[in-house]
Amino acid sequence: MAWRDFKKRFKRQMSDMLEIPSDIIMDLPKIVLVGDLQLFIENHRGIVEYTAENVRVNVGDYEVAVSGEELILRNILPDEICLEGRIKSLQFVR
Amino acid sequence: MFLFRLISFMFGYVNILVRGENLEKFLNMAASRGIYLWDIRRIGENELFVKTRLSAVKPLRHIGRKTKSRFSFRGREGIPFVISRIRKRKSLVIGVVFFLSGLYVLSSFVWFIDVTGNRRLPAERILETAAEAGLRVGTAKLMVDQEKVENLIRERIPEISYVGVSISGTRATIEIAEKTIIQKEKLQPAHIVAKKAGLVKEVLVLVGNPAVREGDTVVPGQILISGIIPHPEEQSGEAGSPDGNQVAPPLTIPPAYVHARGVVRARVWYEGYAEVPLLEEGVRETGNSVSRACIKIGSREIIFSGRRDIPFTDCRIEREVKKPPAWRNLSIPVELISEKYYELEKYREMRSRDEAARLARLKALESARSGIGGPVRVIEEQAREITLKNPDNLVRFRAYIEVLEDIGMEKTFERPGS
Repeated sequence: MAWRDFKKRFKRQMSDMLEIPSDIIMDLPKIVLVGDLQLFIENHRGIVEYTAENVRVNVGDYEVAVSGEELILRNILPDEICLEGRIKSLQFVR
Repeated sequence: MFLFRLISFMFGYVNILVRGENLEKFLNMAASRGIYLWDIRRIGENELFVKTRLSAVKPLRHIGRKTKSRFSFRGREGIPFVISRIRKRKSLVIGVVFFLSGLYVLSSFVWFIDVTGNRRLPAERILETAAEAGLRVGTAKLMVDQEKVENLIRERIPEISYVGVSISGTRATIEIAEKTIIQKEKLQPAHIVAKKAGLVKEVLVLVGNPAVREGDTVVPGQILISGIIPHPEEQSGEAGSPDGNQVAPPLTIPPAYVHARGVVRARVWYEGYAEVPLLEEGVRETGNSVSRACIKIGSREIIFSGRRDIPFTDCRIEREVKKPPAWRNLSIPVELISEKYYELEKYREMRSRDEAARLARLKALESARSGIGGPVRVIEEQAREITLKNPDNLVRFRAYIEVLEDIGMEKTFERPGS
């Protein structure tokens, strides 16, 4: 466990130092929110739950939970999800 | 994104309703296998609405079997489906092709010929010449040699200085400029005669021999400026002796005959009369109107714009009928009728004597003015009421207008002895 934490910290420092975006080096999700209308999640690991009110998306270490109304999945690609609807909240669930 | 949709439309896509217990798994599996799904909508507890490409249906069935979900197809869209739909309606396609080719073929003929710019020449003459050169209604545009038409018109009709033939769409326009032919100097001798009766105010002679003086009263047809100029000696002899009882010289020299020119202004009177009743009754337009257009097929009329019922009790109808041209004795029994209804009303107007007098005065002057033609200078205008012994309900006015007017008019005459 200690070794893994060390690796993580090292990667972060490297990305800070070399100014490389951390989503590339550390394999983190990149989430873009357009108002409350659209949500793009890049680098996801699959959908955990999908209903019109709640969407949970696995992004590796944790889940992104979105709640709102009339949510639809505009499209799904292997590494990108586009969500549309009236978004109310966005949570990271560990 | 738009490009994605466009490509999907081109290759065709389907709407699928997916029913199953584990729909998230179905979505993840599809995404990881690179099947493109979009517009995913949760409809019910175990139902999803999904759009996908036609080519993805087969692998999707495989995934469905694995995740224990069932499909039902709800809609097919895109070009492949449109094509298959069209295949079933061959006659429609034939009709479209026929229509378009008809439109194309008909638009390659000249159907209208306009002639512009001709003032004195009749358009028929130009059209005839154009037809001879190959430009007539119904010829193919390709067959018309514009230069040839232009040249032929210019050759045949010498009064034309410029011809331009242009074809735009199905309309050919022949643009023409006429030569201005300078009229020859009039050689025939002429008098200037009075066209109206009046009192001569001024006489300005350019060519000729004055026959009247200022202050003379003339009657229509009287010679004002004579085209016969006596021999100078004869003239001076006459002018030299006001009493005029000098004996004429025995040898008469023939006088000169000229085309008299000059201006003779005279005072001319115009008269007008008007009467206005104190009580007037009649019918007049109210200014309200309704228009209506209909197509008459056989004896049936189909109104396609305007009101069905005319809201006026009394009206005047203006009707314009357009008919397709008849061929031989066959005519198409279709007419396009456009009608305009003007509302009429009965009116009854009472006037006071003053008001009627004012109106009658204006009308009388108006009627006097209507007799005046050409540029004049008005000297005096007056209108008088005509009073009768026993007054009835009519007000009568007579108007006089006095104007200063050029009363000269050319009148040719034959040179005696020629």
